Amino acid sequence: MKLALKTVAAAAFSVVLAASAQADDWTPPGPIKLMIAFAAGGGADTQARLIAEDLEAATGWEFIPEQVTGKGGMNLAMAIKDMPNDGSVIGMVVTETLGYNMRAADAGVSPSDFTGIATTAGFQMGVVSLSSKGWNSFEDVVAAAQAGEELRFGVMSPRLADLAYLLGKAQGVDFNIVSVKGGRAVMNGVNAGDMDLGFMAGIQGKGVAAGDLVNLASALSEPLRQSPDAPTFADLGVEFNSDGAFVFVGPGGMDPEARDALAAAIGTAISTEGTKSNAMITKAFGGPFIQTGDALQQRLQAEYDEAGALLQAASE
Amino acid sequence: MEVWTYIQLGIAAVFQGPDLFAIAGFGVPVTPIMVLLGFLLGIAVGATPGLAGPMAMAISLPILISIFGFSPDALLPVMGFLIGIMKGATIGGAVPAILFNTPGTPDAYMTTLDGYPMTQAGKARKALKIAHVSSASGDTFSDIVLILCAPFLAVLVESYLDLPEKTALLILSLAFIASVIGNSVGKGLISMGLGLLAVYIGTGEDFYPRLTLGSQTLAQGFPIATAILGVLIIGEVFKSIEDLWHDHRRAQKRPSYTEVGDQHVHRADLRRIAPYIARSAVIGTAIGALPGVGSTLAATLGFTTGSRRHATKSPDATQFGHGAPEGIASTEAANSSVSGANLIPVLSLGIPGNAAAVFLILAADSIGGFNPGPSVFKFTSGSINPELVMAFGLFTIMMLANLFNWTIGGGFMRVVGYMIHIPKHILLPVVLLLTFTAIYVQEARMSAIWFAVGFGVLGYLMRRLGMSPLPFVIAFILGGKLEETARQAFAATGGDAWFLFTNPIAAVFMALAVTVIVFSTRTRKEPAQ
Amino acid sequence: MFTGSTTNRALAIFAIAAALLIAIGWVPLDTDTGIVEKVRRQVTIGDALAPTLASIFIGVGGLLLFFQGASPADGRLRLANLRYLALLIGLLLLSFAIMRWAGPAAVALFGAGESYAALRTTAPWNVIGYFLGGTILIASLIAMIEGRPSFRAFAIGVVASSLLILLYDLPFDDLLLPPNGDV
Repeated sequence: MKLALKTVAAAAFSVVLAASAQADDWTPPGPIKLMIAFAAGGGADTQARLIAEDLEAATGWEFIPEQVTGKGGMNLAMAIKDMPNDGSVIGMVVTETLGYNMRAADAGVSPSDFTGIATTAGFQMGVVSLSSKGWNSFEDVVAAAQAGEELRFGVMSPRLADLAYLLGKAQGVDFNIVSVKGGRAVMNGVNAGDMDLGFMAGIQGKGVAAGDLVNLASALSEPLRQSPDAPTFADLGVEFNSDGAFVFVGPGGMDPEARDALAAAIGTAISTEGTKSNAMITKAFGGPFIQTGDALQQRLQAEYDEAGALLQAASE
Repeated sequence: MEVWTYIQLGIAAVFQGPDLFAIAGFGVPVTPIMVLLGFLLGIAVGATPGLAGPMAMAISLPILISIFGFSPDALLPVMGFLIGIMKGATIGGAVPAILFNTPGTPDAYMTTLDGYPMTQAGKARKALKIAHVSSASGDTFSDIVLILCAPFLAVLVESYLDLPEKTALLILSLAFIASVIGNSVGKGLISMGLGLLAVYIGTGEDFYPRLTLGSQTLAQGFPIATAILGVLIIGEVFKSIEDLWHDHRRAQKRPSYTEVGDQHVHRADLRRIAPYIARSAVIGTAIGALPGVGSTLAATLGFTTGSRRHATKSPDATQFGHGAPEGIASTEAANSSVSGANLIPVLSLGIPGNAAAVFLILAADSIGGFNPGPSVFKFTSGSINPELVMAFGLFTIMMLANLFNWTIGGGFMRVVGYMIHIPKHILLPVVLLLTFTAIYVQEARMSAIWFAVGFGVLGYLMRRLGMSPLPFVIAFILGGKLEETARQAFAATGGDAWFLFTNPIAAVFMALAVTVIVFSTRTRKEPAQ
Repeated sequence: MFTGSTTNRALAIFAIAAALLIAIGWVPLDTDTGIVEKVRRQVTIGDALAPTLASIFIGVGGLLLFFQGASPADGRLRLANLRYLALLIGLLLLSFAIMRWAGPAAVALFGAGESYAALRTTAPWNVIGYFLGGTILIASLIAMIEGRPSFRAFAIGVVASSLLILLYDLPFDDLLLPPNGDV
């Protein structure tokens, strides 16, 4: 599994390198403002700051990290939209920000108002419960719900709330969907017994390995690497999934030269073994996942377009 | 994982953390050094009238965060420094109160009543020593109670309280704070309502940023630092500058004192003051454990109960208010034993009770990775709970600070007497620029400075109108959590509109909340902090 | 029947009026989801509930205050207080305006075609605004308290802003002094 991922990363990266050949001589016009859409101190924030440190060491460019949190990244999106697009301002969000969230927020912007620079890592999004609950598979959850138990399902974004709702609908049960802020809050809630099960995006790794937590299902289009036997959402009859990645974006219409130079530098930093960001991403998110250029832009647009179907399905 | 393992890990986290520098091959770990520096700074700040512990904590925080970064490693050094300031300021406040009849911190007012007469009688150094012994005893006692109670309370909360009960507990805390702080329940409720309203601007679950009047600047909400520093620090500076402005013609004479005779604290002295220290330490700890009831009330209660006892037991000795060492002991033990106990609700429930606790929560919030509340004390079976290690690290820091207090605190108290000579009218403008700079450095936008000015004006008006700003600040901190927990409880119970009343524990909390408000409106209270 | 002070009564009426305005006007107009709303076949709490409750607290506080007796700690707000506040805010506005624009102005005049944004981490350009604005802030406040401008007040401003620049800007690359995060 690891090997396959590394191959993907390497393949993606060679594309980046090819693109970077002509972007070699780009230098930023001054210090680069790095907006971070995640709360200080969390895994996502740490990732962004480590990448900036590695980039500074490798390129000599100067980065100034700044927190712009809230509204699932939409605050950052609205703030970065009108900033200079010469590569002096970039931001780190998740693809969900420009997809579902932007669609649901209906704030008069779309992915074409932004420039996708590079993704860095995906999530290992699973449906997780305490192993002391005694559930070994998702069927046990359904059985418990059908036996009349009221189940609380912790989610950390509106998109995941929709997915939890559709999962229940597909399985013929009702969950009480509890929205909290961030994956750590879901984990704390599940640990404290405030919730019975919930989405966790990689934070469950240690607990699952220690046997405290159990991955009941993969919310991705593919199985989880840690629990390959857990069914995917497609297996459970849900035609949507929570596929997504951390992504660096800039204001719309960025100069391709600046965009590609930044993408190449980010790609090098996170895929070079021995850098801080590579070590962190490998440990917390299962390794780098790099997508850049037009492919990334199309992906962002596609997620935005497809979000309509999920919103529609969840409102029925 | 056993409790003992966590205690060891916590101590190790403090003493085996990253080294600051090495002497002859032995690394000097950074956290104890930070505790020491914070403690010394705290004494100096406490001894400076016009500055107070929370102000120094607020100003140091952004500097500390930029030194140590946002990593989990940053937490203990930063918290160590802040806790050091908190403890140092407590004993520092007694210095000008005793030497110059000017309390360095509000809770040291009662110390002037007996401290200054002793100075006038030539016993300044003895008075300082008595204040130190009493303060250090009260502080240490309070910390021990904290260490014994907080984990227990947190485990209790986590095992018995579900989301509806947690919501009701937050409501009870806010009702309590609004009722007991200040001298008017009405003003307390207004202050709290304003704090809630402020924190609800721009936040919320919906993608539409609520209450922002269409402004993108407000969409991120008010940064917590602008609201807290604005209302607590800038508002206070605004008010003090005006007071100075009106008083500027008043002749300033340089205060001085002389010492006569024996300044030692003898065993007999200790035997005499020990019962007063013990009694006040218990009073202060009990009051400190309740959120919102400040150290000023503790000092007042300690002083009055001590005074009553002294008048009946030793009617022939020097009475309270005329230079009785017992008076200093009663006051200082009471106000110092508030700080440790005040962290019981912080660590076990995430509910701050006074300004110092507010800044500790702000620090944890800014650094991330440590969320004060019941989840901290989760004893996991397989893996290590890093937050619990941090909690035991914090306990270690507190005991370390007490050790510094006992060993060098008294000596350092005697050298900071000169802090009174720093002219306030020069100090305050500098503090103002420092605070604005600290806010900008954290937020990196001019709008944050304007927010802070706005909150400063609010804090100024509150002080002029006799309204305590503390309910505002605590509501601002707890408001988001209250809304989230209520939402979660409502969703988790499947949309039961009466979720606060259907469950017995929650219903009891709600009944208590109403009772405390009704009861407070009917009784006049002594002015608290 | 009202024993409270005039200031208290004025504050109470103001609080009640504000609470009504917030609950009936601001909150309904400026939130997208109501007190409760139905999503995914579940009734959930909307974004309007919490601010509405906040306004109710303000209103109830106002009512309690209106019927409360006077007390020595009541405090008063006089016209002189408001005049002081206006003067203070004026000084702050002036100082922060200088802090914000002095740097970009200096770059435009002497910066050899570079933009201020590109130079915002380059000394001395990045501290011009902070130094001037900070000095004026401190000097003018001291002068206000002392009732006269003095060379000493100005010198204290210079020393204090220089020290703060040394404290924040020299050791830390990531920290931006005002106004360098805005450009």
